Amino acid sequence: MSKLVIDRLSKRFSGTVAVADVSVAVGDGELLCLLGPSGCGKSTVLRMVAGFENPSEGRVLIDGEDVVALPPERRPTGMVFQSHALWSHMTVAQNIAFGLRLRGLARAEVKARVGSVLELVGLAGYEARYPAQLSGGQQQRVAIARCVVLEPKILLMDEPFSALDAHLRVRLREEVRAIQQRLGLTTMFVTHDQDEALTLADRIVVMRSGAVEQVGTPGEIYAAPATRFVASFIGTMNLIETEASGGSAGLAGARVGGDLPDGPLTIAVRPEDIALGEPGWTGRIERVLDLGAFRMLDVALDGGPTVKVQAAKGVPLRAGETVPLRPLGLVAYGGDGRARRASIEFGNLTNVVSIHG
Amino acid sequence: MALAAPILVEARRFPVGLLLVAAPMLLLVVFVLVPAASAIVSTLTDPRSGGPSLANYRTLLGDPLSRGNLFFTLGSTLAVCGLLLAVCLPVALYLRFSSGRLPAFVQSVAVFPLFVPGIIVAYALIRFLGPNGSLQTVLDAIGIHGFRSPYLTPAGTVIGLVWEGIPLTLLILLSGLAQIPNAAIEAARDVGAGRLAILTGIILPLIANSVTVAFSLAFLGAFGAFTIPYLMGPASPEMMGVFMQRTFSELRDPAQAQTQAVMSFLFCAAVGVIYVRSVIRSRRRGS
Repeated sequence: MSKLVIDRLSKRFSGTVAVADVSVAVGDGELLCLLGPSGCGKSTVLRMVAGFENPSEGRVLIDGEDVVALPPERRPTGMVFQSHALWSHMTVAQNIAFGLRLRGLARAEVKARVGSVLELVGLAGYEARYPAQLSGGQQQRVAIARCVVLEPKILLMDEPFSALDAHLRVRLREEVRAIQQRLGLTTMFVTHDQDEALTLADRIVVMRSGAVEQVGTPGEIYAAPATRFVASFIGTMNLIETEASGGSAGLAGARVGGDLPDGPLTIAVRPEDIALGEPGWTGRIERVLDLGAFRMLDVALDGGPTVKVQAAKGVPLRAGETVPLRPLGLVAYGGDGRARRASIEFGNLTNVVSIHG
Repeated sequence: MALAAPILVEARRFPVGLLLVAAPMLLLVVFVLVPAASAIVSTLTDPRSGGPSLANYRTLLGDPLSRGNLFFTLGSTLAVCGLLLAVCLPVALYLRFSSGRLPAFVQSVAVFPLFVPGIIVAYALIRFLGPNGSLQTVLDAIGIHGFRSPYLTPAGTVIGLVWEGIPLTLLILLSGLAQIPNAAIEAARDVGAGRLAILTGIILPLIANSVTVAFSLAFLGAFGAFTIPYLMGPASPEMMGVFMQRTFSELRDPAQAQTQAVMSFLFCAAVGVIYVRSVIRSRRRGS
């Protein structure tokens, strides 16, 4: 059980800032996801923790010891790469045993540990196969086994499932989560896939342009995105642009009030946070998409934009119908992109809607 | 109908493909395979009776001069191959794992001999390494005397062939190293491998096929070389290329020249077999 602390880490590549002043701590046995779009610096952070990149500034502390000066081979970390990075000239057993042999372990112990880790990742009996004889999922399991067998203090995973098909990705991430919890490994996981982050992580760090936008549990990040970027990046969100003046703004006949600065304002409402049949807005259903578990409607608000509304499967709705609807929760973002306390009023009806304060 | 259409298209394309390869195949048969087969058959024929005979091979292997030339060629060729790998592998590793202007400059210098004809290389080396050449002049100027020029010695041949072979060997090794993803090296460092362990445990096995190709091509080039050994090598023993030419044109013994050629071919074919087996083995395991 180990703790990882990233303290004010920055990285510049010939003048370009890739990572800017990132600080985050990963607790004992915690799985922390770095989530963000391509090029946001999440992999660079991971590579600095692993030792493959030298930080321009900042510290990486593992159990209180600064490891920045140590080369990757001397750091107590293990990394799983996006491309699996298996050595094609070695069998599965040889791939896993390579690190153990470098540590001078006896042959019998190496064999026993290889067997036990293959059992753990569900690949017992595959010892003599070469990587080219395995499927993508099996290759990634070998890569995980190669890491885990060395019992690293910190497990680092750099988009390990991005090369796999959707079904396999879902199955493998469940398996990885189970292994991580069983071994109690402190893990930092990089992904650009929000579903992956939401289902795997204990906490998520959302990154953008090299900086941290928000740190929180999946529930917190989903329910209360701290910035407009996080709101747009995580899940499906209706982002309605309006203008605030004198502390309030108009929105399709309703009035949004609260701690609002004058200027551009974005109101964010999740499709599942809009109740159909409740008095408030009125809108016309333009399209009904049946997504299996639920239906997604495009509703054009009277005097306002078109919003997405999630409806239960059994509700009889057709395109062309006019329906009353009301937001049950919303977040407002000022011109600086930060969340603001806000509420919405429909005539004499006042809604409760502030999420952020 | 939907399935039949692509089959019909393939059937129509088939003769076009055959026609495209027919002309070069015909040239290959007429100008390479037929003369080669004819030469092999003639070396196995008794010139007097016209019957099958190994007399030509008995003469070749029984003659100390011919045998000496054959072993000298083999030894020189292996020395060239060894030196080429010893020189080119560190350079290729440096070029693969470095970036910036200096590696680009080193690569252009290393590949430069590729664009220089062999005869120019030979004369340049003679002017540099020969008696009273640039090297001796410089050594004398700095007080180092007694330099023995490798010109017209076995070392002269080896130096010339190594100089000539560097670009191709380097390019083959570089292409092999380029196939190794950075992640494979990083994964090795991640599990605790130092430089030596990465070189011996990861890099060399992963480029084994490229090393075999480089060795094979260097061997084939050096074994059959003519210009460099002719201009820089000793009068005796001789490399097989020079020996064959002299046997044919000066000794006017085409049967022995052909036998020497077939013997050279057998050595080169043996290297070819090693190369093919290496390729098959690496394909089997998918590396």
